[in-house]
Amino acid sequence: MAGKGGAGRSSVAAALGICFAARGDNALVVEWTHPEAIAPWFGKPPAGHQAIELVPRLWAMNYSLDETLREYFVGHLGMRLLHDRVIASRHVRRLIHAAPGIAELLFCGRLFWLAELARDEVGIHYDRIVIDAPATGHGAALFELPSTLAAFDLGGLLRLESTRLARMLADPERTGAVVVALPEELAIEETLELLPRLERALGRAPLGVIVNHSVDRFVSGEESPAWLARLEASRPASSPALRGVHVELLGRKARERDLHHALAGAEAPGLGVLSMDEALLAPEADGARRIVERMARDLDGWLPR
Amino acid sequence: MTARLHVLLGQGGVGKTTLAAALALALSREGRRVGLLGIDPARRLQGALGLGGCRRKTTAAVLAGAEAPVAGPGELPEEPIAVAGFPGLGVALLRPEQSLRRWVAEQCPDEAARRALVENPFFIALADRMASAADAFAGIRVAEWAERDPALDDLVVDTAPGLHGLSFVARPDQLLAFLRGRLLRWLGHFAWGRKRHGATARRVLGGLADVGGAGVLLRLGEFALLLQEVAATMTARLERARTWLRDGTTGLLLVAAPRPDAAAGVRGLAEALRELGLAPGAVVLNRALPPELADGEAIPDPEGEGEARAFVRYLRGFAALQGRVRAELSALGRVVEIEAAEGLDSLGEARLEALCRLGARMIEALRAGALLAPRRA
Repeated sequence: MAGKGGAGRSSVAAALGICFAARGDNALVVEWTHPEAIAPWFGKPPAGHQAIELVPRLWAMNYSLDETLREYFVGHLGMRLLHDRVIASRHVRRLIHAAPGIAELLFCGRLFWLAELARDEVGIHYDRIVIDAPATGHGAALFELPSTLAAFDLGGLLRLESTRLARMLADPERTGAVVVALPEELAIEETLELLPRLERALGRAPLGVIVNHSVDRFVSGEESPAWLARLEASRPASSPALRGVHVELLGRKARERDLHHALAGAEAPGLGVLSMDEALLAPEADGARRIVERMARDLDGWLPR
Repeated sequence: MTARLHVLLGQGGVGKTTLAAALALALSREGRRVGLLGIDPARRLQGALGLGGCRRKTTAAVLAGAEAPVAGPGELPEEPIAVAGFPGLGVALLRPEQSLRRWVAEQCPDEAARRALVENPFFIALADRMASAADAFAGIRVAEWAERDPALDDLVVDTAPGLHGLSFVARPDQLLAFLRGRLLRWLGHFAWGRKRHGATARRVLGGLADVGGAGVLLRLGEFALLLQEVAATMTARLERARTWLRDGTTGLLLVAAPRPDAAAGVRGLAEALRELGLAPGAVVLNRALPPELADGEAIPDPEGEGEARAFVRYLRGFAALQGRVRAELSALGRVVEIEAAEGLDSLGEARLEALCRLGARMIEALRAGALLAPRRA
């Protein structure tokens, strides 16, 4: 799940996880954020770095750089001595935390481990891993890692790891990107910048675009509807504010149209565009869990079986 | 530092960039000398100022009269440019790759060393690729700005979303520790092929070489060595940025919007700031409903059409959500509400004026709560 911060990536990621779990897959949703969002929606304590099961077959975890380092060196490579003496040393940890990109590399390495190695090493198997990519750089940086790493003149284990990672990302059977967008001006611009960037990095178009907080179905687009005039007449003091809210909703509808228009001109992404209704327009005010469950039903109708 | 620093932090999509642009424009309208630095790697600032690329190509119109060379449509340059109608305001976007290249050009007198540095793969990766590189250099850039413009009154800094934005305040410490640390010197020795390391150094370097290969260490060492010239200036600037961030006039504004996760986001940021020894300033609740609509139940049931009913349902849902969010936020700090602004949908000059009005309301609200540090003499 790539996309601008605040677009609702976590909600869509959780909804996708619910959808996969309902279809019988073992699904893991990976966050890399603070504070952790998804597990608390299900009434659970934050999962932290170790995945917990939220509902049957739906798991969640929140990536931690230091934990990953420890697992990689101690658990995966069996190099406890190297980890304790070298990696965990103050100087090397400073290097790792300060050097840009290292955290992203290890994040991807962790994903590879979860996808490919966890079954053999610790007996955990996930059929689906949904990644709530970090908002920084829209998550596109994750897919750009292989080409970045190629410039590093890597040897030893890191070369092996990065080659495997590049293969996983390049394989359309194993990896796909979905962009979460908002019907707001800046967010649409960013989405339209992100799509070609992802396509370059992946070597193929993202699977689709999900427009969150859509009001398209509810708003006719009429600029001064009679009902708004009646509402304003009943609350004269609030008239400018009511008009302001209406203008905001009209704008959202227009921005969504812009996005559809722009995407229609581009080569169509695999699944096209799915609009998710603004949660505040739902018949009853819902908690986050109900909202993502409703999203999961929309996704279920959208995703091929 | 004589200028005030305003840092806007918050989750993605809450309107940080818009408010940063608004605050800078309004401060400039008060006759102050203001800098506006976007460090969000998503480069949202140009869109907020109406310089966005895809739907509107209004750069030329908005920036007509700019003193400095103007970049192409949708491109804000790394060095400050003027904005027409707002004298004393300079806007720039943090572009670490360009800043780094400029610093190298300014501080690396030897042509061969300069070339070796810009061709080093670590330099290239650092400069071009990594999403997190932007905030790593923001502290340096901020200090450089104040250094180069001693008459500056205010510097407004937009940040990356969520906790990533904290890198801006945390990185100076991390980078300083790294630049001053022994590792960099060891790596430099390694690149020279000197065998003068102590036992610990040999173990560290040997272990790293096992994992990443000796080539990567040589490159890293070479990079460390070549960077030394530039690093001395970087270190000095980081020191100043660090001091400036802890200065009593610096405002760390936590921006939120009426969203279910607003309180959790602000709490996370405030806790992380305190861990860094920094005091969070006001919580800015952006895009709030005005008080007369904030009580959703007071909105009458509409008659007839589905669209009207959906509209009122939305208003009530929004009002209820805002009430919950406000209550949760006020437990975390002083909350300043900023109502949704009109006119941000307009173009060019009208948009800048709308932003400026928004910024003036923000300044007024912050001053009313004594949340804006007093001006310096």
